[in-house]
Amino acid sequence: MTHLLDIRNYSISKKLTWMNMLVSAAALLLACGGFCAYDLYSFRDALVRNVSIQAQIIGENTASALLFDDPHSAEKTLSALGANRHLIYAQIYTHDGQPFAAYWREGARQALPLPIIPSGQTQIHWFRGGHLGLARSIIFEGKPTGIVYISSDLGAMNDRLKSYAVIIAVVFLASLVVALLISRISQRVISEPVMQLAQTVHIVSQEKNYSIRATTNLNRDEVSTLIESFNEMLEQIQQRDGALQQAHDELEQRVRERTTQLAVANKELDLRNREVERATQMKSKFLASMSHELRTPLNAIVGFSDLLAEGTPGQLNDKQKRFVNHIKQGSTHLLQLINDILDLSKIEAGQLELRSEEFLVKDTLPEVLSTIHPLAMAKNIRVEQKVESSSLVKADRVRFKQILYNLLSNAVKFTPKGGMISIDCVDVQDFVRVSVADTGIGIRPEDQKVVFEEFRQIEGSADRAQEGTGLGLAITKRLVEQQGGQISVASELGKGSRFTFTLVAAEPTAKVRPVVEPAMSAMVTPSSRLIPLVLIVDDEGPARELLASYLEPEYRVVMAESGAEAVKKAQQLRPDAITLDVLMPGSNGFETLAALRKNSETANIPVIILSIVDQKQVGFALGAADYLIKPVRKPALLEAIRRHVPSPADEDSSILLVDDDPKALELLAEALRSAGYETQAVRSGTRALEVLANKVVGAILLDLLMPGMDGFQVIRHVRQEAAFRELPILVMTAKNLSQAEIALLNRETQGLLQKDGSWKEQLIAEVGRVVRGHSLAKSAGQP
Amino acid sequence: MKYLHGTECVRRLPPGQRNWRTPAAHKMLAALAIAWGLLAVPITRAQSAKPTDYQVKAAYLYNFGRFVEWPAKVSATQTGSFSICVLGEDPFGPALDATFAGEKIGNQKVVARRISDPHDSVDCQILFISASETNRLNKIIESLDKTAILTVSDIPKFSQRRGMIQLVLDGGRIRFEVNLTATQRAGLTLSSELLKVATAVRKDRE
Repeated sequence: MTHLLDIRNYSISKKLTWMNMLVSAAALLLACGGFCAYDLYSFRDALVRNVSIQAQIIGENTASALLFDDPHSAEKTLSALGANRHLIYAQIYTHDGQPFAAYWREGARQALPLPIIPSGQTQIHWFRGGHLGLARSIIFEGKPTGIVYISSDLGAMNDRLKSYAVIIAVVFLASLVVALLISRISQRVISEPVMQLAQTVHIVSQEKNYSIRATTNLNRDEVSTLIESFNEMLEQIQQRDGALQQAHDELEQRVRERTTQLAVANKELDLRNREVERATQMKSKFLASMSHELRTPLNAIVGFSDLLAEGTPGQLNDKQKRFVNHIKQGSTHLLQLINDILDLSKIEAGQLELRSEEFLVKDTLPEVLSTIHPLAMAKNIRVEQKVESSSLVKADRVRFKQILYNLLSNAVKFTPKGGMISIDCVDVQDFVRVSVADTGIGIRPEDQKVVFEEFRQIEGSADRAQEGTGLGLAITKRLVEQQGGQISVASELGKGSRFTFTLVAAEPTAKVRPVVEPAMSAMVTPSSRLIPLVLIVDDEGPARELLASYLEPEYRVVMAESGAEAVKKAQQLRPDAITLDVLMPGSNGFETLAALRKNSETANIPVIILSIVDQKQVGFALGAADYLIKPVRKPALLEAIRRHVPSPADEDSSILLVDDDPKALELLAEALRSAGYETQAVRSGTRALEVLANKVVGAILLDLLMPGMDGFQVIRHVRQEAAFRELPILVMTAKNLSQAEIALLNRETQGLLQKDGSWKEQLIAEVGRVVRGHSLAKSAGQP
Repeated sequence: MKYLHGTECVRRLPPGQRNWRTPAAHKMLAALAIAWGLLAVPITRAQSAKPTDYQVKAAYLYNFGRFVEWPAKVSATQTGSFSICVLGEDPFGPALDATFAGEKIGNQKVVARRISDPHDSVDCQILFISASETNRLNKIIESLDKTAILTVSDIPKFSQRRGMIQLVLDGGRIRFEVNLTATQRAGLTLSSELLKVATAVRKDRE
C-alpha cells in the first residue's frame, strides 16, 4: 500500500518508465513462463518415452533370463542401467508377479510392490514424489513373460529447470535493461512536454508573472492541445490582471482623492464642532447665570411672603393674608417653573449628571411622602403605599425622589377632594416597577400620548385650580429614560390614572444592603448622644480591641470589620468620628473613605486614618481629617480624636449668615430666628472672616455667588484656620453647581441647600443637624 | 497376506491414472482392482506350488524352441506342427503334454511325441534323450549327425559327448550347457539370448 502511494507521487516520467518496465516485465515473465511450461511438459513426455524405451530394451534383453530362470543374467542386464544416473530403481517381476531381479542406484532397498498394469495395456507411468514410475509388460513372441518396473528421479528435469532459471534470469535482466533504456527515451515524448508545462505553471504561480508562455512542441496530441489551452488561459489572465491592476490604480487614486476631501471635511467639521462646543458652553453659562439671577429675587419673594403669611412680622388681616398667599403661590409656581425649565434644558444639553447609586425604594418613600402628605391632607386625599419590592434600584437617588415626587404631586393635583392615591412597587425580573395611581379626573386617550411632551397640560380640565408648569411629566420621562427605565400611563377618563415607571434593579449583593438593624438603632438614643461615638474600622480583631481600650470610656465605641460594614454603620449610627485602617481585604481604607465622602449622610464625619503605610498625601486628598502611622500611641490617638470631635463644651451657637443680598439675609435671619437660632448677618466674605476672627459661632450659612470674595474663597480661608477646621459650614445657593463643585462642597462643608421650593424646612433641619453634630451639648437643648 | 495383496493394489494405483478426476471413475477403478485381486488369489496359489524338475525341464524344452532357428528347408517340409520328441523312457509323465497344450512356436502347434528309435526322430525339431539311453548315447548322436534336430538331455557330460544342450542342476536351479560346435554342425542357429543364460557354451576343436 505504501509502495503504491509512493508510486502515485512519482513524476510522470518516472511513472511512464515504471509502467513500461512493469509491462515489459509482465510480458517477459508470461512468455518465459509459458515457454518453460511447454518445454517442461514436452520434456516430461520425452522423459517418459526415454524410460519407456529403456524398459522395453530391458524387457527384451531379460526375456530369456526370465524364461530360463536366470535372475543373475537379468541382473547383469539391469546393471547396464547404471549408465543413466537418474534411474533410481528397476525391478523385473515374473509373469506371475514374483520379484525376479532388481537394480538400485544406491544401496539395497526393499522391493516395491508390483504395480498393476490394466489388461489391454502394456505400459503405465506416473509421477509421484519427484519420481517417474513406469511399469511395462515384457512380451516375448506375443506372450507376456514378465514385468519391468523402472523408477527414475526427475533430476534431468530439475537440471533443465535450473538452467532455465538461469537463462530466464539473464534474459529477464537484459530485457529489463533494454526496456528501461527504451522507455527512458520513449517516455520523453509524453513526459517532457508535460513536465515543461508543469514547470511553467509553477513559475507562473510563484512569480505571478502571466506574461510567460509554455513552449509548444511539434506534436499534435492532447498535451500540445493542453499547452495551447493553458497559454490561452494565461493570455486571458494577463489581460484581466492588467485590467484589475488598472482598476486598482484608479480605485487608489479615487481613495486618495476622497481621503483628501474627507480631511478637508473633517477640518471643517472640527471647526464647526468647536463652534458648537463654544455655543454649548455659552448656553450653559447663560443657564447658570440665569438660574442665579432668576432665583435670587424669587427666593426673596417666596421667603418674605412665607414670613408674611406666617405672621412673623405681625398679624395680617384676612384680605392681606389672601393677597400674600396669592403672591406666595404665584412666586412658588414661578420658581418651580424656572427650576423645571433649567432641569429640562440641562437634560436637553446633556448636562444632567446622574449618579449611579444602589438603594431601596422603600427607603426613599418617607422623604417624598413627607412633602406630599401636607398637600394630600389639604385635599383630604388618602395616600396608600404597597411596596413589595425587595430589590435595590440602581439610579440617582435624588433624581429618583424627584420622579416620584413629580408623579405624586401630579396625582394630588388632579385628584379631587376625598380621593385616593396609591403607590405600588414590585420586582419584575431585572427591573423594579413603580406605579402611582390616583382616582382623579383621568386623561382622555388622545391626550395620553402627549402627556409626556413639554408644555402640555390637559386642557378642558374642569378645575382651573389645577396648576403646573407642564414640564413635570416631560422631565420625569427623561429622567426615567436616561436611567435606563420606561414610563407609561394608563387612564380612564373620570376614573383615574396610573403612571408606571421601571428602573434597573441592581445586582443583589449582600454588602450594601442597608438593612437597619434594630439593635443598632437602639444604641442611638438621645441620652447616649451626649457621649461622642467613634466608629473603629479595622479588619484585625486585636487592633480593634486595642483602639477601643484607648478610647473607652471617654468615647462610646462601635466597630466594623470591613469597609462595607463601616459605610453601613456610618450611615446608620452617624458616629462623631471614624478611625479607619487602610490595609483591609475587600474595599480598603481609601476606598472606604471615598465611599463615606460620597454619601452625603456620612460625608461630614471626620475620618482619622490609622495605617502602617505612610500615604498621607492620598489620605488627605481623599478627605481624611487626620492621618496617624501605626503603631499609634494612646495620647496621640486621643489628641487627634479630640481635635476633630468637639467635646460637649459651651460654644456660641449663633449662626453666621453670609450673603450679598440683604433681602436674602433678612429672610434667612427671620427664618432661623423663628426656629430659635441666633444669627449674625454679613454681606461679604471678607466681613465674614472678620467676624470669625473675633467671635465664636456655631455654624456658617454661606452663599456662594458674591461680589469680591465668593463662597468658595470663604470656605478655603475658613478651613485654612486650624481653629475653624471643624466649624460647620452650610452652603445655600441658587447656583447651578458642577460635579466638581459639589464634590468640593461635600468635602469641605457640612451641608448644601438649593434655594428653591421648600427651602425653609430643609434649612432649619440642616442647621439643626450640623449644629447638633458640632456641639452636642447644645443640640441636646434644641427643640 | 496374499489376500491383502489385492487391496494394496487399490491403494497403489499408478498416479498416471489419477487424472481420471471423476469420483465414478475412481470407484470403477477400485472395483476393477478388487475384482482382479480376488481372481488373482487362486491363480497365484496354484502357481506358487513349487514345480517339479521335470515340469521345469518340459518348459525349457518348449522355450529352447523359441530361441533356436532351424534351417529353412526343414521348416518347410514340416506338416505344420512343431514336434518335441522324447527318446527312451519318458521321465516327464503328464507334465509334457500339460506344458505344451495350446502352445505354438512360430505358427506351428507344439506337439509331444515319444519315440524309442532314433530313426523315428526325422520329424522332430527337438529331441530329449532320456537317461535310459545313456548306454547307447554315442550311437544315437552319431545317427543324428548332420540332421537339424536340437538334442537335449540331462545325461551327465552330454554336451561333452557332442550333445547340444545338457540340462544340469545348479544350486537347486535347472540350468543348461550348450555345445555350440554341435549345433553349428547341425545347421541350427542359437539366439545370443539363449547363450547368455547358458551356464557354459562349449566349442570343440575339430
